[in-house]
Amino acid sequence: MQKAFGKKSVIFMFVFPAFLIYTLFVVVCVIWAGYYSFFDWSGVGAKTFVGFKNYIDLLTADTVFRSTVWHTLIYTLINVAIQVFGGLLFAILLSRIKKGRVALQTLYYIPVVISSVAICQIFSKLLSVTPTGIVNQLLSMINPAFATMEWISNPNLSLYVTAFVEAYKYLGLYMVIFYAALIGVPGELSEAARIDGANVVQEYWNVRIPYIKPVIVANCLLVLNGSLRSFEFSYLLTHGGPGNASELMTTYMYKQAFSSMKYGYGSSVAIMIVIICMVVGFLFRKFTGGGEDE
Amino acid sequence: MIKRKISVGGTVKWIIALLLVVMQVYPFLYVFTSSFKSLDDFQKLPAYAMPSALYLGNYITVFTKSHMLTYFKNSIIVLVGVLVPLIIIALMAGFALSKIKFRGRKFLLNYFLLGLMLPMQVALIPLFTIFNKLGLINTYAAIILPQIAFSMSYSIQLFHSFSKFFPEEMLEAAIIDGCSPIGCFFKMVVPMSLNSIITVATMQAVFCWNEYINAYTFTRSTDMKTVTLGLNDYVGSMGLTDWGATLAAITVTVIPVFVFYFICSKKMLAGMSAGAVKG
Repeated sequence: MQKAFGKKSVIFMFVFPAFLIYTLFVVVCVIWAGYYSFFDWSGVGAKTFVGFKNYIDLLTADTVFRSTVWHTLIYTLINVAIQVFGGLLFAILLSRIKKGRVALQTLYYIPVVISSVAICQIFSKLLSVTPTGIVNQLLSMINPAFATMEWISNPNLSLYVTAFVEAYKYLGLYMVIFYAALIGVPGELSEAARIDGANVVQEYWNVRIPYIKPVIVANCLLVLNGSLRSFEFSYLLTHGGPGNASELMTTYMYKQAFSSMKYGYGSSVAIMIVIICMVVGFLFRKFTGGGEDE
Repeated sequence: MIKRKISVGGTVKWIIALLLVVMQVYPFLYVFTSSFKSLDDFQKLPAYAMPSALYLGNYITVFTKSHMLTYFKNSIIVLVGVLVPLIIIALMAGFALSKIKFRGRKFLLNYFLLGLMLPMQVALIPLFTIFNKLGLINTYAAIILPQIAFSMSYSIQLFHSFSKFFPEEMLEAAIIDGCSPIGCFFKMVVPMSLNSIITVATMQAVFCWNEYINAYTFTRSTDMKTVTLGLNDYVGSMGLTDWGATLAAITVTVIPVFVFYFICSKKMLAGMSAGAVKG
Protein backbone atom coordinates (compact mmCIF):
# COMPACT_ATOMS: atom_id res chain seq x y z
CA MET A 1 0.00 0.00 0.00
CA GLN A 2 2.84 2.36 0.86
CA LYS A 3 4.21 1.66 -2.62
CA ALA A 4 1.07 2.74 -4.43
CA PHE A 5 0.14 5.58 -2.08
CA GLY A 6 3.68 6.69 -1.24
CA LYS A 7 4.29 8.25 -4.66
CA LYS A 8 4.85 11.99 -4.48
CA SER A 9 2.08 12.66 -6.99
CA VAL A 10 -0.45 10.69 -4.93
CA ILE A 11 0.46 12.39 -1.66
CA PHE A 12 0.26 15.72 -3.43
CA MET A 13 -3.18 14.95 -4.79
CA PHE A 14 -4.50 14.01 -1.33
CA VAL A 15 -2.99 16.78 0.74
CA PHE A 16 -2.67 19.71 -1.63
CA PRO A 17 -6.33 20.87 -1.79
CA ALA A 18 -6.51 21.16 1.99
CA PHE A 19 -3.08 22.75 2.14
CA LEU A 20 -3.98 25.32 -0.49
CA ILE A 21 -7.27 26.54 0.93
CA TYR A 22 -5.99 26.49 4.52
CA THR A 23 -2.80 28.37 3.65
CA LEU A 24 -4.54 30.97 1.50
CA PHE A 25 -7.39 31.83 3.82
CA VAL A 26 -5.96 31.17 7.26
CA VAL A 27 -2.18 31.48 7.30
CA VAL A 28 -1.73 34.13 4.61
CA CYS A 29 -4.56 36.25 6.05
CA VAL A 30 -3.10 36.24 9.53
CA ILE A 31 0.32 37.23 8.16
CA TRP A 32 -1.41 39.85 6.02
CA ALA A 33 -3.09 41.28 9.12
CA GLY A 34 0.37 41.50 10.64
CA TYR A 35 1.50 43.50 7.62
CA TYR A 36 -1.45 45.90 7.88
CA SER A 37 -0.74 46.44 11.55
CA PHE A 38 2.31 48.55 10.62
CA PHE A 39 0.22 51.03 8.63
CA ASP A 40 -2.17 53.85 9.23
CA TRP A 41 -4.93 53.02 6.78
CA SER A 42 -8.64 53.69 6.48
CA GLY A 43 -9.34 50.91 4.00
CA VAL A 44 -9.47 53.25 1.02
CA GLY A 45 -6.73 55.54 -0.27
CA ALA A 46 -3.04 55.41 0.55
CA LYS A 47 -1.49 53.40 3.36
CA THR A 48 1.00 55.28 5.52
CA PHE A 49 3.79 53.20 7.04
CA VAL A 50 4.00 53.98 10.75
CA GLY A 51 6.24 51.19 12.05
CA PHE A 52 5.38 50.05 15.56
CA LYS A 53 3.31 53.15 16.32
CA ASN A 54 0.01 51.20 16.42
CA TYR A 55 1.41 48.77 18.94
CA ILE A 56 2.96 51.52 21.06
CA ASP A 57 -0.34 53.41 21.08
CA LEU A 58 -2.19 50.24 21.90
CA LEU A 59 0.00 49.34 24.85
CA THR A 60 0.67 52.79 26.29
CA ALA A 61 -2.02 55.29 25.29
CA ASP A 62 -5.19 53.32 24.61
CA THR A 63 -7.03 52.98 27.91
CA VAL A 64 -10.03 51.39 26.20
CA PHE A 65 -7.84 48.59 24.86
CA ARG A 66 -6.40 48.07 28.30
CA SER A 67 -9.88 47.73 29.76
CA THR A 68 -10.89 45.29 27.00
CA VAL A 69 -7.92 43.07 27.91
CA TRP A 70 -9.03 43.19 31.50
CA HIS A 71 -12.65 42.42 30.52
CA THR A 72 -11.52 39.54 28.35
CA LEU A 73 -9.61 38.03 31.27
CA ILE A 74 -12.55 38.33 33.67
CA TYR A 75 -14.86 36.98 30.96
CA THR A 76 -12.54 34.02 30.39
CA LEU A 77 -12.24 33.23 34.10
CA ILE A 78 -16.02 33.20 34.55
CA ASN A 79 -16.38 30.93 31.56
CA VAL A 80 -13.75 28.51 32.77
CA ALA A 81 -15.36 28.41 36.19
CA ILE A 82 -18.89 27.78 34.94
CA GLN A 83 -18.17 25.61 31.93
CA VAL A 84 -15.47 23.40 33.41
CA PHE A 85 -16.69 23.04 36.99
CA GLY A 86 -20.37 23.24 36.13
CA GLY A 87 -19.83 20.78 33.30
CA LEU A 88 -17.99 18.43 35.61
CA LEU A 89 -20.77 18.55 38.22
CA PHE A 90 -23.40 17.90 35.52
CA ALA A 91 -21.36 14.97 34.28
CA ILE A 92 -20.92 13.48 37.76
CA LEU A 93 -24.64 13.77 38.37
CA LEU A 94 -25.34 12.14 35.02
CA SER A 95 -22.96 9.28 35.76
CA ARG A 96 -24.83 8.60 39.01
CA ILE A 97 -28.19 8.26 37.31
CA LYS A 98 -28.98 4.91 35.82
CA LYS A 99 -32.23 5.34 33.94
CA GLY A 100 -32.80 7.94 31.27
CA ARG A 101 -29.18 8.99 30.90
CA VAL A 102 -29.34 9.28 27.15
CA ALA A 103 -32.48 11.40 27.28
CA LEU A 104 -31.02 13.70 29.93
CA GLN A 105 -27.78 14.07 28.04
CA THR A 106 -29.66 14.93 24.85
CA LEU A 107 -31.73 17.57 26.64
CA TYR A 108 -28.78 19.12 28.47
CA TYR A 109 -26.96 19.51 25.18
CA ILE A 110 -29.74 21.52 23.49
CA PRO A 111 -28.31 25.04 24.04
CA VAL A 112 -25.07 23.98 22.32
CA VAL A 113 -26.79 23.46 18.97
CA ILE A 114 -28.73 26.72 19.05
CA SER A 115 -27.09 29.69 17.35
CA SER A 116 -25.53 32.39 19.50
CA VAL A 117 -27.77 34.94 17.80
CA ALA A 118 -30.90 33.10 18.92
CA ILE A 119 -29.52 32.63 22.45
CA CYS A 120 -28.76 36.35 22.69
CA GLN A 121 -32.25 37.20 21.48
CA ILE A 122 -33.81 34.82 23.99
CA PHE A 123 -31.82 36.18 26.91
CA SER A 124 -32.54 39.76 26.03
CA LYS A 125 -36.22 38.81 26.33
CA LEU A 126 -35.82 36.80 29.53
CA LEU A 127 -33.83 39.60 31.18
CA SER A 128 -35.94 42.42 29.78
CA VAL A 129 -37.14 45.24 32.02
CA THR A 130 -39.85 46.88 29.90
CA PRO A 131 -41.98 44.85 29.63
CA THR A 132 -40.90 42.90 32.70
CA GLY A 133 -39.20 39.70 31.63
CA ILE A 134 -39.45 36.34 33.33
CA VAL A 135 -36.29 36.65 35.39
CA ASN A 136 -37.34 39.93 36.96
CA GLN A 137 -40.91 38.72 37.41
CA LEU A 138 -39.74 35.68 39.35
CA LEU A 139 -37.21 37.66 41.38
CA SER A 140 -39.79 40.29 42.26
CA MET A 141 -41.75 37.59 44.07
CA ILE A 142 -38.84 37.55 46.53
CA ASN A 143 -38.28 41.28 46.58
CA PRO A 144 -40.43 43.71 44.55
CA ALA A 145 -37.38 45.91 43.91
CA PHE A 146 -36.09 43.33 41.45
CA ALA A 147 -38.90 44.14 39.01
CA THR A 148 -36.93 47.09 37.65
CA MET A 149 -33.51 45.48 37.95
CA GLU A 150 -31.38 46.21 34.88
CA TRP A 151 -29.13 43.39 33.69
CA ILE A 152 -28.00 44.07 30.15
CA SER A 153 -27.75 47.84 30.36
CA ASN A 154 -26.22 47.86 33.82
CA PRO A 155 -22.53 48.88 33.58
CA ASN A 156 -21.70 46.91 36.74
CA LEU A 157 -23.30 43.71 35.52
CA SER A 158 -23.31 43.58 31.73
CA LEU A 159 -19.90 41.88 31.46
CA TYR A 160 -20.92 39.17 33.92
CA VAL A 161 -24.29 38.69 32.27
CA THR A 162 -22.60 38.27 28.89
CA ALA A 163 -20.10 35.80 30.30
CA PHE A 164 -22.90 33.88 31.95
CA VAL A 165 -24.90 33.63 28.72
CA GLU A 166 -21.90 32.28 26.81
CA ALA A 167 -21.17 29.82 29.63
CA TYR A 168 -24.81 28.75 29.58
CA LYS A 169 -24.62 27.93 25.89
CA TYR A 170 -21.50 25.77 26.10
CA LEU A 171 -22.04 24.13 29.49
CA GLY A 172 -23.65 21.09 27.87
CA LEU A 173 -20.70 20.58 25.55
CA TYR A 174 -18.22 20.15 28.38
CA MET A 175 -20.66 18.02 30.27
CA VAL A 176 -20.76 15.57 27.37
CA ILE A 177 -16.96 15.42 27.21
CA PHE A 178 -16.58 14.94 30.96
CA TYR A 179 -19.30 12.34 30.99
CA ALA A 180 -17.56 10.33 28.27
CA ALA A 181 -14.33 10.54 30.26
CA LEU A 182 -15.99 9.58 33.57
CA ILE A 183 -17.66 6.46 32.25
CA GLY A 184 -14.34 5.57 30.63
CA VAL A 185 -12.72 5.18 34.06
CA PRO A 186 -11.97 1.44 34.44
CA GLY A 187 -14.60 -0.23 36.61
CA GLU A 188 -11.96 -2.09 38.64
CA LEU A 189 -10.60 1.18 40.00
CA SER A 190 -13.84 2.45 41.47
CA GLU A 191 -14.76 -1.05 42.60
CA ALA A 192 -11.47 -1.35 44.49
CA ALA A 193 -12.13 2.00 46.14
CA ARG A 194 -15.59 0.90 47.19
CA ILE A 195 -14.26 -2.36 48.66
CA ASP A 196 -11.78 -0.28 50.64
CA GLY A 197 -14.77 1.50 52.15
CA ALA A 198 -14.81 4.75 50.16
CA ASN A 199 -18.15 6.52 49.95
CA VAL A 200 -19.40 8.12 46.76
CA VAL A 201 -17.71 11.47 47.38
CA GLN A 202 -14.40 9.81 48.19
CA GLU A 203 -14.70 7.52 45.21
CA TYR A 204 -15.02 10.50 42.87
CA TRP A 205 -12.57 12.78 44.64
CA ASN A 206 -9.80 10.21 45.07
CA VAL A 207 -10.27 7.89 42.11
CA ARG A 208 -12.35 9.11 39.22
CA ILE A 209 -11.44 12.79 39.11
CA PRO A 210 -7.67 12.23 39.38
CA TYR A 211 -8.04 9.64 36.60
CA ILE A 212 -9.65 12.13 34.21
CA LYS A 213 -7.30 14.98 35.15
CA PRO A 214 -5.84 15.21 31.62
CA VAL A 215 -9.36 15.75 30.26
CA ILE A 216 -10.00 18.47 32.84
CA VAL A 217 -6.81 20.27 31.85
CA ALA A 218 -7.63 19.89 28.17
CA ASN A 219 -11.13 21.26 28.71
CA CYS A 220 -9.86 24.21 30.75
CA LEU A 221 -7.63 25.20 27.89
CA LEU A 222 -10.35 24.62 25.29
CA VAL A 223 -12.61 26.99 27.21
CA LEU A 224 -9.74 29.46 27.57
CA ASN A 225 -9.13 29.39 23.86
CA GLY A 226 -12.85 29.69 23.12
CA SER A 227 -13.52 32.59 25.48
CA LEU A 228 -10.46 34.57 24.44
CA ARG A 229 -11.88 34.74 20.92
CA SER A 230 -15.50 35.15 21.98
CA PHE A 231 -17.31 37.71 19.89
CA GLU A 232 -21.03 37.18 19.33
CA PHE A 233 -22.32 37.45 22.86
CA SER A 234 -20.72 40.77 23.66
CA TYR A 235 -21.41 42.14 20.19
CA LEU A 236 -25.06 41.12 20.03
CA LEU A 237 -26.35 41.02 23.58
CA THR A 238 -24.85 44.19 25.04
CA HIS A 239 -23.16 45.75 21.98
CA GLY A 240 -20.09 45.99 24.19
CA GLY A 241 -21.93 48.45 26.35
CA PRO A 242 -23.14 50.32 28.15
CA GLY A 243 -20.17 52.49 27.26
CA ASN A 244 -17.32 50.00 27.07
CA ALA A 245 -18.45 48.02 30.09
CA SER A 246 -18.59 44.67 28.31
CA GLU A 247 -16.27 45.34 25.37
CA LEU A 248 -13.92 42.44 24.63
CA MET A 249 -10.71 42.42 22.60
CA THR A 250 -12.41 40.86 19.58
CA THR A 251 -15.35 43.23 19.52
CA TYR A 252 -12.97 46.16 19.99
CA MET A 253 -10.93 44.96 17.03
CA TYR A 254 -14.04 44.58 14.90
CA LYS A 255 -15.34 48.03 15.74
CA GLN A 256 -11.96 49.69 15.20
CA ALA A 257 -11.70 48.13 11.76
CA PHE A 258 -15.24 48.11 10.44
CA SER A 259 -16.95 50.96 12.30
CA SER A 260 -14.08 53.43 12.81
CA MET A 261 -12.42 52.38 9.53
CA LYS A 262 -9.02 52.12 11.23
CA TYR A 263 -7.81 49.01 9.41
CA GLY A 264 -4.19 49.33 10.52
CA TYR A 265 -5.03 49.87 14.15
CA GLY A 266 -7.64 47.11 14.11
CA SER A 267 -5.06 44.77 12.62
CA SER A 268 -2.65 45.45 15.46
CA VAL A 269 -5.41 44.52 17.93
CA ALA A 270 -5.95 41.36 15.85
CA ILE A 271 -2.29 40.45 16.12
CA MET A 272 -2.38 40.93 19.89
CA ILE A 273 -5.31 38.48 19.99
CA VAL A 274 -3.33 35.98 17.92
CA ILE A 275 -0.35 36.26 20.24
CA ILE A 276 -2.49 35.66 23.32
CA CYS A 277 -4.34 32.73 21.68
CA MET A 278 -1.05 31.19 20.54
CA VAL A 279 0.46 31.37 24.00
CA VAL A 280 -2.62 29.65 25.40
CA GLY A 281 -2.53 27.14 22.55
CA PHE A 282 1.08 26.20 23.20
CA LEU A 283 0.37 25.81 26.89
CA PHE A 284 -2.49 23.54 25.84
CA ARG A 285 -0.20 21.31 23.81
CA LYS A 286 2.42 21.28 26.52
CA PHE A 287 -0.01 20.23 29.23
CA THR A 288 -1.80 17.62 27.15
CA GLY A 289 1.40 16.24 25.66
CA GLY A 290 0.47 17.34 22.14
CA GLY A 291 -2.29 15.66 20.14
CA GLU A 292 0.14 13.68 18.07
CA ASP A 293 2.77 12.12 20.32
CA GLU A 294 1.98 8.48 20.60
CA MET B 1 -32.80 1.51 56.62
CA ILE B 2 -30.18 1.32 53.91
CA LYS B 3 -32.82 0.87 51.27
CA ARG B 4 -34.60 4.01 52.42
CA LYS B 5 -31.39 6.02 52.33
CA ILE B 6 -30.74 5.01 48.74
CA SER B 7 -34.21 5.97 47.61
CA VAL B 8 -33.93 9.39 49.26
CA GLY B 9 -30.58 9.94 47.55
CA GLY B 10 -32.11 8.78 44.30
CA THR B 11 -35.00 11.22 44.61
CA VAL B 12 -32.66 14.12 45.32
CA LYS B 13 -30.59 13.18 42.29
CA TRP B 14 -33.67 13.13 40.12
CA ILE B 15 -34.91 16.46 41.44
CA ILE B 16 -31.56 18.05 40.62
CA ALA B 17 -31.47 16.37 37.24
CA LEU B 18 -34.94 17.66 36.39
CA LEU B 19 -34.14 21.17 37.63
CA LEU B 20 -31.20 21.17 35.26
CA VAL B 21 -33.46 20.03 32.43
CA VAL B 22 -35.74 22.97 33.19
CA MET B 23 -32.76 25.32 33.14
CA GLN B 24 -31.46 24.00 29.84
CA VAL B 25 -34.80 23.59 28.08
CA TYR B 26 -37.17 26.17 29.51
CA PRO B 27 -35.83 29.18 27.56
CA PHE B 28 -36.67 27.41 24.32
CA LEU B 29 -40.04 26.30 25.61
CA TYR B 30 -40.74 29.91 26.54
CA VAL B 31 -39.83 31.06 23.03
CA PHE B 32 -42.07 28.44 21.49
CA THR B 33 -45.14 29.15 23.62
CA SER B 34 -44.70 32.93 23.53
CA SER B 35 -44.47 32.94 19.77
CA PHE B 36 -48.23 32.34 19.83
CA LYS B 37 -48.94 35.37 22.00
CA SER B 38 -50.72 38.37 20.58
CA LEU B 39 -49.63 41.91 21.32
CA ASP B 40 -52.36 42.04 23.94
CA ASP B 41 -50.98 38.98 25.69
CA PHE B 42 -47.50 40.48 25.78
CA GLN B 43 -48.77 43.61 27.44
CA LYS B 44 -51.29 42.16 29.84
CA LEU B 45 -50.16 38.67 30.81
CA PRO B 46 -47.13 37.96 32.99
CA ALA B 47 -44.17 36.77 30.94
CA TYR B 48 -44.36 33.17 32.14
CA ALA B 49 -48.06 32.77 31.35
CA MET B 50 -49.29 30.69 28.45
CA PRO B 51 -50.86 32.59 25.54
CA SER B 52 -54.58 33.23 26.00
CA ALA B 53 -55.33 31.83 22.54
CA LEU B 54 -53.39 30.21 19.73
CA TYR B 55 -52.52 33.38 17.81
CA LEU B 56 -50.76 32.78 14.47
CA GLY B 57 -50.24 36.41 13.52
CA ASN B 58 -46.55 36.36 14.41
CA TYR B 59 -45.88 33.53 12.00
CA ILE B 60 -47.81 35.29 9.28
CA THR B 61 -45.61 38.36 9.88
CA VAL B 62 -42.47 36.24 9.67
CA PHE B 63 -43.40 34.64 6.38
CA THR B 64 -45.02 37.60 4.66
CA LYS B 65 -43.28 40.74 5.91
CA SER B 66 -39.75 39.43 6.23
CA HIS B 67 -37.58 37.42 3.84
CA MET B 68 -37.40 34.25 5.87
CA LEU B 69 -37.70 31.97 2.84
CA THR B 70 -34.82 33.75 1.11
CA TYR B 71 -32.74 33.38 4.26
CA PHE B 72 -33.49 29.69 4.38
CA LYS B 73 -32.51 29.29 0.73
CA ASN B 74 -29.22 31.11 1.37
CA SER B 75 -28.45 29.13 4.49
CA ILE B 76 -29.01 25.87 2.65
CA ILE B 77 -26.80 26.95 -0.28
CA VAL B 78 -24.03 27.97 2.14
CA LEU B 79 -24.42 24.77 4.14
CA VAL B 80 -24.04 22.53 1.09
CA GLY B 81 -21.32 24.76 -0.34
CA VAL B 82 -19.29 24.46 2.84
CA LEU B 83 -19.92 20.85 3.79
CA VAL B 84 -19.36 18.96 0.53
CA PRO B 85 -15.90 20.34 -0.31
CA LEU B 86 -14.88 20.48 3.34
CA ILE B 87 -15.63 16.82 3.99
CA ILE B 88 -13.96 15.55 0.80
CA ILE B 89 -10.84 17.70 1.15
CA ALA B 90 -10.44 17.15 4.89
CA LEU B 91 -11.01 13.40 4.63
CA MET B 92 -8.40 13.11 1.87
CA ALA B 93 -5.85 15.07 3.90
CA GLY B 94 -6.69 13.43 7.23
CA PHE B 95 -6.56 9.97 5.69
CA ALA B 96 -3.26 10.62 3.90
CA LEU B 97 -1.63 12.16 6.96
CA SER B 98 -2.66 9.17 9.03
CA LYS B 99 -2.04 6.27 6.64
CA ILE B 100 0.66 7.27 4.16
CA LYS B 101 4.16 7.46 5.57
CA PHE B 102 6.17 10.29 4.04
CA ARG B 103 8.75 12.80 5.13
CA GLY B 104 7.35 15.96 6.65
CA ARG B 105 4.05 14.30 7.52
CA LYS B 106 4.21 15.22 11.18
CA PHE B 107 5.22 18.77 10.36
CA LEU B 108 2.32 19.08 7.94
CA LEU B 109 -0.16 17.79 10.51
CA ASN B 110 1.10 20.29 13.08
CA TYR B 111 0.85 23.01 10.47
CA PHE B 112 -2.82 22.17 9.96
CA LEU B 113 -3.49 21.93 13.69
CA LEU B 114 -2.04 25.40 14.21
CA GLY B 115 -5.33 26.66 12.81
CA LEU B 116 -7.16 25.46 15.93
CA MET B 117 -5.59 28.34 17.81
CA LEU B 118 -6.26 31.07 15.24
CA PRO B 119 -9.50 32.96 15.73
CA MET B 120 -11.41 33.73 12.57
CA GLN B 121 -11.94 37.43 13.41
CA VAL B 122 -8.24 38.01 12.87
CA ALA B 123 -8.49 37.16 9.17
CA LEU B 124 -11.52 39.36 8.56
CA ILE B 125 -9.71 42.61 7.73
CA PRO B 126 -7.43 41.10 5.05
CA LEU B 127 -10.29 38.96 3.72
CA PHE B 128 -12.52 41.98 3.48
CA THR B 129 -9.95 43.99 1.50
CA ILE B 130 -9.24 41.05 -0.83
CA PHE B 131 -12.90 40.27 -1.45
CA ASN B 132 -13.55 43.95 -1.98
CA LYS B 133 -10.84 44.17 -4.66
CA LEU B 134 -12.10 41.02 -6.37
CA GLY B 135 -15.70 42.19 -6.21
CA LEU B 136 -16.67 39.16 -4.13
CA ILE B 137 -18.38 41.04 -1.29
CA ASN B 138 -22.01 39.96 -1.05
CA THR B 139 -21.48 36.69 -2.94
CA TYR B 140 -21.80 33.09 -1.79
CA ALA B 141 -18.07 32.58 -2.41
CA ALA B 142 -17.19 35.17 0.24
CA ILE B 143 -19.42 33.46 2.80
CA ILE B 144 -18.38 29.91 1.92
CA LEU B 145 -14.61 29.94 1.30
CA PRO B 146 -13.39 31.32 4.67
CA GLN B 147 -15.69 28.93 6.49
CA ILE B 148 -14.21 25.93 4.68
CA ALA B 149 -10.71 27.14 5.47
CA PHE B 150 -11.38 27.81 9.13
CA SER B 151 -13.18 24.49 9.65
CA MET B 152 -10.32 22.59 8.03
CA SER B 153 -8.09 22.18 11.09
CA TYR B 154 -10.72 20.61 13.30
CA SER B 155 -12.07 18.34 10.55
CA ILE B 156 -8.58 17.14 9.62
CA GLN B 157 -7.82 16.45 13.27
CA LEU B 158 -10.93 14.31 13.61
CA PHE B 159 -10.50 12.45 10.31
CA HIS B 160 -6.84 11.89 11.13
CA SER B 161 -7.63 10.22 14.43
CA PHE B 162 -10.55 8.21 13.00
CA SER B 163 -8.46 6.99 10.06
CA LYS B 164 -5.98 5.26 12.36
CA PHE B 165 -8.42 2.37 12.65
CA PHE B 166 -8.79 1.94 8.91
CA PRO B 167 -7.84 -1.64 7.90
CA GLU B 168 -4.89 -1.42 5.52
CA GLU B 169 -5.22 -5.00 4.26
CA MET B 170 -8.36 -4.06 2.35
CA LEU B 171 -6.51 -1.37 0.47
CA GLU B 172 -3.61 -3.73 -0.27
CA ALA B 173 -6.03 -6.18 -1.82
CA ALA B 174 -7.69 -3.50 -3.91
CA ILE B 175 -4.35 -2.21 -5.17
CA ILE B 176 -3.29 -5.69 -6.21
CA ASP B 177 -6.54 -5.90 -8.15
CA GLY B 178 -5.40 -2.82 -10.06
CA CYS B 179 -7.30 -0.06 -8.30
CA SER B 180 -5.71 3.41 -8.51
CA PRO B 181 -5.12 5.33 -5.25
CA ILE B 182 -7.79 7.90 -6.01
CA GLY B 183 -10.16 5.12 -7.12
CA CYS B 184 -9.45 3.31 -3.85
CA PHE B 185 -10.24 6.49 -1.97
CA PHE B 186 -13.67 6.99 -3.48
CA LYS B 187 -14.58 3.30 -3.79
CA MET B 188 -13.30 2.09 -0.41
CA VAL B 189 -12.15 4.79 1.99
CA VAL B 190 -15.24 6.98 1.60
CA PRO B 191 -17.83 4.19 2.03
CA MET B 192 -15.92 2.62 4.89
CA SER B 193 -15.45 5.94 6.69
CA LEU B 194 -19.15 6.70 6.50
CA ASN B 195 -19.51 6.72 10.27
CA SER B 196 -16.79 9.28 10.84
CA ILE B 197 -18.02 11.30 7.86
CA ILE B 198 -21.48 11.53 9.41
CA THR B 199 -19.99 12.52 12.76
CA VAL B 200 -17.87 15.32 11.32
CA ALA B 201 -20.59 16.43 8.90
CA THR B 202 -23.30 16.75 11.56
CA MET B 203 -21.02 18.79 13.80
CA GLN B 204 -19.83 21.07 11.04
CA ALA B 205 -23.40 21.41 9.76
CA VAL B 206 -24.52 22.84 13.09
CA PHE B 207 -21.50 25.19 13.25
CA CYS B 208 -22.16 26.35 9.71
CA TRP B 209 -25.90 26.85 10.18
CA ASN B 210 -25.22 28.98 13.26
CA GLU B 211 -22.26 30.87 11.81
CA TYR B 212 -22.58 34.59 12.32
CA ILE B 213 -19.51 36.82 12.01
CA ASN B 214 -18.40 35.68 8.58
CA ALA B 215 -21.81 36.02 6.98
CA TYR B 216 -22.38 39.30 8.80
CA THR B 217 -19.15 40.83 7.52
CA PHE B 218 -19.38 39.74 3.89
CA THR B 219 -23.05 40.27 3.08
CA ARG B 220 -24.60 43.58 2.21
CA SER B 221 -28.09 43.01 0.87
CA THR B 222 -31.15 41.26 2.21
CA ASP B 223 -31.19 38.71 -0.59
CA MET B 224 -27.80 37.31 0.52
CA LYS B 225 -28.49 37.08 4.24
CA THR B 226 -28.50 33.75 6.04
CA VAL B 227 -30.99 32.61 8.67
CA THR B 228 -28.78 33.65 11.61
CA LEU B 229 -28.53 37.19 10.28
CA GLY B 230 -32.24 37.35 9.56
CA LEU B 231 -33.03 36.85 13.24
CA ASN B 232 -31.79 40.33 13.94
CA ASP B 233 -34.25 41.86 11.48
CA TYR B 234 -36.88 42.37 14.15
CA VAL B 235 -34.52 44.13 16.51
CA GLY B 236 -34.35 47.86 16.88
CA SER B 237 -36.33 48.61 13.76
CA MET B 238 -38.34 51.76 14.58
CA GLY B 239 -36.88 51.59 18.06
CA LEU B 240 -39.36 48.89 18.96
CA THR B 241 -38.71 45.20 18.84
CA ASP B 242 -41.59 43.13 17.58
CA TRP B 243 -41.35 40.47 20.26
CA GLY B 244 -43.92 38.16 18.83
CA ALA B 245 -42.35 38.16 15.38
CA THR B 246 -38.84 37.73 16.80
CA LEU B 247 -39.89 34.77 18.89
CA ALA B 248 -41.76 33.24 15.96
CA ALA B 249 -38.68 33.75 13.77
CA ILE B 250 -36.46 32.09 16.37
CA THR B 251 -38.87 29.16 16.53
CA VAL B 252 -38.91 28.80 12.75
CA THR B 253 -35.11 28.84 12.47
CA VAL B 254 -34.50 26.62 15.47
CA ILE B 255 -36.95 23.85 14.53
CA PRO B 256 -34.82 22.47 11.66
CA VAL B 257 -31.83 22.39 14.02
CA PHE B 258 -33.88 20.55 16.65
CA VAL B 259 -35.18 17.98 14.20
CA PHE B 260 -31.69 17.46 12.82
CA TYR B 261 -30.22 17.29 16.31
CA PHE B 262 -32.69 14.72 17.61
CA ILE B 263 -32.04 12.52 14.58
CA CYS B 264 -28.26 12.79 14.78
CA SER B 265 -27.68 13.46 18.48
CA LYS B 266 -25.92 10.14 19.05
CA LYS B 267 -23.40 10.80 16.30
CA MET B 268 -22.86 14.38 17.37
CA LEU B 269 -22.34 13.64 21.03
CA ALA B 270 -19.96 10.84 20.10
CA GLY B 271 -17.97 13.12 17.83
CA MET B 272 -17.73 15.86 20.41
CA SER B 273 -16.35 13.54 23.04
CA ALA B 274 -14.06 11.72 20.59
CA GLY B 275 -12.48 14.98 19.51
CA ALA B 276 -11.70 16.23 22.98
CA VAL B 277 -11.19 13.21 25.21
CA LYS B 278 -8.55 11.93 22.85
CA GLY B 279 -7.06 15.41 22.65
